[in-house]
Amino acid sequence: MERTRAILVDITKCIGCRSCELACKEVHGLLKESESKLSPTALTVIEEHGDKYVRRMCMHCEDPACASACLVGALKKTALGPVTYDGSKCIGCRYCLVACPFSVPRYEWTKLVPYVKKCDMCAARQAKGEPPACVEACPTGASIVGWRDEILEEAQRRVLGDAKYVKHIYGSEEAGGTSVFFISDVPFEDLGFVAAPRQPMPALSAAALGDVPTVVLVGGSLLAGIYWITERRHHVAVAEARERTPKQR
Amino acid sequence: MRGTRFPKVTMWRVIVAIIFAAGLYATYARFALGFSQSTHLTDPQPWGLWVGLGTLCGVGLSAGGFGIAAAVYLLGFERYRPVLRTAVLVSFLGYMSVIAGMMYELGLPWRIWHPIFMWNRHSMLFEVSWCVMLYSTVITLEFSPAVVERIPWDHVRSWYLKQQHRILIGLVLVGCVLSSLHQSFLGGLYLLTKGKLDPLWYTPYLTTLFYLSAIPAGLAVTVMAVYLCVRSLNVKLDVAILGELARVIAPMLALYGIFRAVDLYTRGALPYMFRWREETFSFWLEIALLVVVPLILLNQEKVTRNPQRLYWTCSLVVMGFMANRLNVSITGLQASSGIYYVPKWTEFAATLMVLTAVVLVFRYAVIYLDILPKNAPQRWLAREGAA
Repeated sequence: MERTRAILVDITKCIGCRSCELACKEVHGLLKESESKLSPTALTVIEEHGDKYVRRMCMHCEDPACASACLVGALKKTALGPVTYDGSKCIGCRYCLVACPFSVPRYEWTKLVPYVKKCDMCAARQAKGEPPACVEACPTGASIVGWRDEILEEAQRRVLGDAKYVKHIYGSEEAGGTSVFFISDVPFEDLGFVAAPRQPMPALSAAALGDVPTVVLVGGSLLAGIYWITERRHHVAVAEARERTPKQR
Repeated sequence: MRGTRFPKVTMWRVIVAIIFAAGLYATYARFALGFSQSTHLTDPQPWGLWVGLGTLCGVGLSAGGFGIAAAVYLLGFERYRPVLRTAVLVSFLGYMSVIAGMMYELGLPWRIWHPIFMWNRHSMLFEVSWCVMLYSTVITLEFSPAVVERIPWDHVRSWYLKQQHRILIGLVLVGCVLSSLHQSFLGGLYLLTKGKLDPLWYTPYLTTLFYLSAIPAGLAVTVMAVYLCVRSLNVKLDVAILGELARVIAPMLALYGIFRAVDLYTRGALPYMFRWREETFSFWLEIALLVVVPLILLNQEKVTRNPQRLYWTCSLVVMGFMANRLNVSITGLQASSGIYYVPKWTEFAATLMVLTAVVLVFRYAVIYLDILPKNAPQRWLAREGAA
C-alpha cells in the first residue's frame, strides 16, 4: 500500500495561539478573523475546553463516510491521504454533512450558489512536498505532519512513554482509522470528541448496496415467475370454459 | 369576447390561493435569498422538512402504484383493477412532487443531471437518484395511456396504446423492482448515521423497515384517494373494494410491527422505549398511529364496512408513516446534533404548495380523464369468475 500523510495533534503542547487558524485562512484566502466554531470560512479552529485547547478539523478518514456518501464523487480520498472536495461536481445535496461521523463539513447556507467547505489538509501544498499551512505555523510543535505509519508510531511512543497521556490515540480506530490523530492528558469525551463508530463507515451501507444484484435478480425472476403462473392459470381457465360451452357454428 | 366571469369565491379556493401565495413567496425566498433566509437548516441539521416530508414521505406514500400494479398484472388479482389507475396516478404525481421538491432542497439544483454522468457506485444516494430517474420514467409510461386516450388523432393514439400495451408487463415488473429498491434505499441513506441517529430508529435493517412500512402506507393513500373521489367527484364505484384493500393493509402493518419489535429487542434497544425523553414520546406517537391504533380499528367490521371510518383509519396510518419518516430524519438526530430544529414557515409553505398542486392535478385528472368510473356502477365482482 502507498504511504499516506497524516497529522498528529498533541493537545498537551497546544498553547491556543491560533497561528494554525490564521495560516489556514491565509492559504485558503479566507477572511482573517478568528472564529470559535468550524464554519465555511474557518476550516480549522481552536476550541477551548477548560484550560485545554483542542484543534478541530477534518479527520481525513482512511475510508471516508463522506466520499462513500457523495453521489457524484465530488469528495475523494486522494492517494497522498487528504480527503478533497471538487466543487465542480457537487449538486448541493448535503449528504456528506449527514454522513460525516465527526460532523465536520460545513455548508455555505447564506450563499445563493452554496458549496461544501472543509479542510483539505493542504493537498496542493503537500503534493509539492510542503507541509500543511497549519502545521508549518505551529510554534510549539503541537501539530506535526509525516507519513501515517511513522506519525502513528510517534503517537504511540509518546502515549506509552509518558504516564500523563490518556492511553488512546484518537483517530487510530475511530471510523476505521483517520489521517489526523489526537493525543491528550484529559479524557477525550471531556474535550468534545465524539465516540465515533470504530469501523469504516462505508461498510455500513456497503452490505445493503451489495444486496442490489441479488434483489434485482431474485426479485425480478420471482415476479416474472409469478406472472407466468398467473397467465398460465388464466389460459387454462379460459380453455376449460371454452370446452364446457357447446361449440356454436 | 367580453364578460369573462370572475370565478366564484369559495372557501377552498381562498385557501388554495393563500397556500399558493405563501408557497410562491417561499420559492422566491429559496432562490433569490438562499437557504439561510428560507429555511432553518444548519450544519448540524443539514436535512430538514423538505427531505423528511417532501422526499421520504413523498416517495413512501407513492408506493401504492407499484403495489396495486403488481397485484393486478402480476398476481392476477383482477378485483383491484378498478382502483389501479387511481393508485398509478397518485404514484406518478407523488414522484413528480418529489422531483419538484428536489429543486428546493438541492443547493445547486441546476446540476440535478450530474448523477447521470458522474457515478459513485459506493453511494446509497447515487442508487436513490437512479431509482428516482428510472422509476419516474416507468410510472410516467405506466400512467400515459390515461392521457394518450384523449388524443384525437386515431393513428397516433392507437399506435401508442398498442406499443404501450406490448411493454406493459415489462414496465410493471421493472417498476416493482425499482420501486422496492427505492423505498429500501431511502432507509439505507441513514445507515451512515450510526452513532448519530437514536437507537430507537438506527438499525442495520432500516432498508427492510422502510420497505415494509411503505407498502401499507401507499395502500392507505390509495384508499383515501378513492374514498375522496367517491365522496366528492361523483365517482361511481363499489366501495366494498376499499374494505378489500384494508384487509391487506392490516396484516402488512402487523408484519411491520412484529419486525420492528424483534429488531428493537435483538439490538437491546427496548430500554430506550421507556426513558423519559422527547424521542420516546415521538416514538410512541409513531407506533400508536402507524401500528397499534390502525390494527385495532382494522379488525373491526364496523370500520372495514364503513368507507368513512376506513378513510379516517387510513389517514392515521399515513400520519403514523409520516411521523416515522420525520422521526428518522429529524427527531432521532436531534440529540446528537445538539440543536433543536423547527422548520421555518417558508419550508412548510413550499411543501404545502407542492402538496396542494398534487391534490389539484389529481382532482382535475379524475374529472377529465378516465381514472375512475363516473357513470354506471362498476360490477367489479363479476370479473372474479374468469381469473
